Amino acid sequence: MIASIIIGIVIFGYAGWALVRFINKSKQGKCAACGVKDSCSSQCSPIVKNK
Amino acid sequence: MFESLKMGDKGKIIDISRVGKLVQRRLLDLGITEGSEVCVKCVMPFGGPVMIESCGQCVGIRRKEAVQIEVVRL
Amino acid sequence: MEIALIGNPNTGKTSLFNNLTGSYAYVGNWSGVTVEKKVGVFKNNIGQLIDLPGVYTLNPLSKDEGVVTSYFLNEAVDRLLNILDASQLERNLHLTLQLLEFEKPALIGLNMIDVANKRGIQIDASKLSKILGVPVVPVVARNGKGCDKLVDVIATKSIQPANKNLVCYGQAVESAIAAITGEMTAKTNHSTRFLAIQYIEGNEYVRNYVNHIADQQKLTSILEELESQLLNQYDTKSLANFIYTKRKEVIEKIVAEVARKGDATIPLSEKIDSIVTNRYLGLPIFLLLMYFMFMLTFDWLGTPLSDALDGLLTGPVTSGIESALGAIHASAFIHALILEGLVAGVGGVLVFVPQIFILFFFISLLEDSGYMARVALVMDRIMESVGLNGKAFIPMIIGFGCNVPGIMAARTIETPRERLLTVLLTPLMSCSARLPVYALFVGAFFAGHKAFIVLSLYVLGIVMVLILAKIFSSTVLKSETSLFVIELPPYRLPQFQSLWRSTWDKGKGFVRKAGTFIFAGSVIIWLLSYAGPGGLEVDMDDSFLAAIGNVIAPIFAPIGFGTWQAAASLITGFLAKEAIISTMNIIYFVPNDASLQALLADFYTPLSAYSFMVFILLYIPCLATVATIYKETNSKKWTAFSMIYAFVIAYVLALIIYQGGRLIGLV
Repeated sequence: MIASIIIGIVIFGYAGWALVRFINKSKQGKCAACGVKDSCSSQCSPIVKNK
Repeated sequence: MFESLKMGDKGKIIDISRVGKLVQRRLLDLGITEGSEVCVKCVMPFGGPVMIESCGQCVGIRRKEAVQIEVVRL
Repeated sequence: MEIALIGNPNTGKTSLFNNLTGSYAYVGNWSGVTVEKKVGVFKNNIGQLIDLPGVYTLNPLSKDEGVVTSYFLNEAVDRLLNILDASQLERNLHLTLQLLEFEKPALIGLNMIDVANKRGIQIDASKLSKILGVPVVPVVARNGKGCDKLVDVIATKSIQPANKNLVCYGQAVESAIAAITGEMTAKTNHSTRFLAIQYIEGNEYVRNYVNHIADQQKLTSILEELESQLLNQYDTKSLANFIYTKRKEVIEKIVAEVARKGDATIPLSEKIDSIVTNRYLGLPIFLLLMYFMFMLTFDWLGTPLSDALDGLLTGPVTSGIESALGAIHASAFIHALILEGLVAGVGGVLVFVPQIFILFFFISLLEDSGYMARVALVMDRIMESVGLNGKAFIPMIIGFGCNVPGIMAARTIETPRERLLTVLLTPLMSCSARLPVYALFVGAFFAGHKAFIVLSLYVLGIVMVLILAKIFSSTVLKSETSLFVIELPPYRLPQFQSLWRSTWDKGKGFVRKAGTFIFAGSVIIWLLSYAGPGGLEVDMDDSFLAAIGNVIAPIFAPIGFGTWQAAASLITGFLAKEAIISTMNIIYFVPNDASLQALLADFYTPLSAYSFMVFILLYIPCLATVATIYKETNSKKWTAFSMIYAFVIAYVLALIIYQGGRLIGLV
């Protein structure tokens, strides 16, 4: 029984955390797709059109 | 006239000013301007782009721009 | 210390970046792979390295080039690392001269010496260094040769340029430069000479910047005076052209001193080109390659591997978990959660990893070899006729892997209208996340013609792009200007290691997503199907999920799949397209060996299955794609447009296929 409760908590906890993180990342769009996002300190700011 | 060049022919550009401003700028970036020697590498069918070579690099441009470039055959 | 990596397009900046920082960023063999600046930390921690998009000059023409100019104007850069393509020294030096005018410490990495040598060009690096007044280090960016020395030079030497004012622009321009710099004294930290020259050249970004800090009217009058003076005095077309000519004179002198030309062998590249860009063979060869790619992915190699993986998951893995759960006396709830939720949901997506990796491998091969730019050339005639540009085909092929980088690659397209059009249409390219859905359905309904049916969907996506491009460009996005000039890089034999890294880099996102989002989604979907208004462990048809699905299911009845199961999976599919497959695996969960494919036959006919696949192909882009469209277009209107038109097109087309198919007697 205790094992079941622990497994349940771990699975639901991880699922909740992963979901929140995924939605946040998706909203960032291109940073999520960037190859060096881990070591990147600049925010990939959208470029303002020059005209 | 560019049209007079066939595949494999070489020519020298004498006037590029009739080509659109943006295309002219981009060709200039690539080092292709008046006085450059070019070689027609390939012509796509149905009025498609042409592939030209200048100083060892290949560039694709559209046919309608290519015909506006004045060249003399070498 | 911040060091900016800058150079012409396709000179190996990103390869060098990867070598110097030990990171792995996206490398390809066509102009404009890097569209956004990237920051990495040097291996030995001496500072940060910034990878900038490739530019021919600091005077930008397209959006990705603008990134570089605004970086120079708005951010503090300590050192410049300029990478040169030794085989194209003349063209590359135009940028170098502008960088030296910026008067920041600089050094030069001389790349592609091997290519230059093959063309019979020998370059004296030490002489070049002496003339330019900055260190020049020969490197081979692809395999990292010379990189250690480069790092040493960056870290130790003081590399302030020794020779100032390499180019003298003639008396008239020089006095105008003096007048303009006079207006800016003590108002900026940048080199005023650099700003003045760029201002005269007509650099929009610099003009904006300068007009903010100095008296706009005075500057304009200086400029006008100079222009009339020059046009009278010399045979020149514009100020920019005059400056270009002056730089060119200097460059010709430099090159004459440092480069020796010998005999060149005819490069293999040209021989290949005479075949793949052949008048008549070009297009057929491209289509044949695509067909080969799909056969390998779906028939010859991918499917057997996926089946083997599936066997492993449903067999040993499932029974292993079952006995483990039995051993710890897990409750029925946990039992169902893990086996019917997680194994079915996450496993259902993971079995498609082999196929996705094969597809990514081919996309990497296309990118790395240099064929990509040729495809743009071959396709330009067709694209032009619908108001697009051959270059738009590159984002679309990348979109086959994932729509997000595809949309970003559209930045290399110079004209705003064509770029917007490409951004809006790239989501119609069938990304790899949609592939599992096809794989599942073709396996169940079209076993004899798997690759052909899937190829038909990919082609349908492309055909829709062409039709919609024509419609949009003649209605909402009208404009005459179009620009197509594309550099065709020499072919290179892709190295297996870099090919594998590039494949892994693209594919790992899919695996990671399975472990995070698909995992979470599976838990939630399972919970919604397990619980209902009547309590826990209800019949699936009475669950919350069924209730949600039933609300929108009637909408899909006319197009052949008005079941709550289909509706529910389409909702999750908006978050990530793979979620469709895990949702289905959970909903149609069958214990025993009866496979999902066999069960699907109870819910779909071949016709409605095809209609469903078409709908999946075209309906609303996933959340990450929508966010990227918003970032790239900077417009809520266009973002909403991209979602709405996609849904409408998907519905209409599925309706035509389903109802039309029934009319002519298909089932």
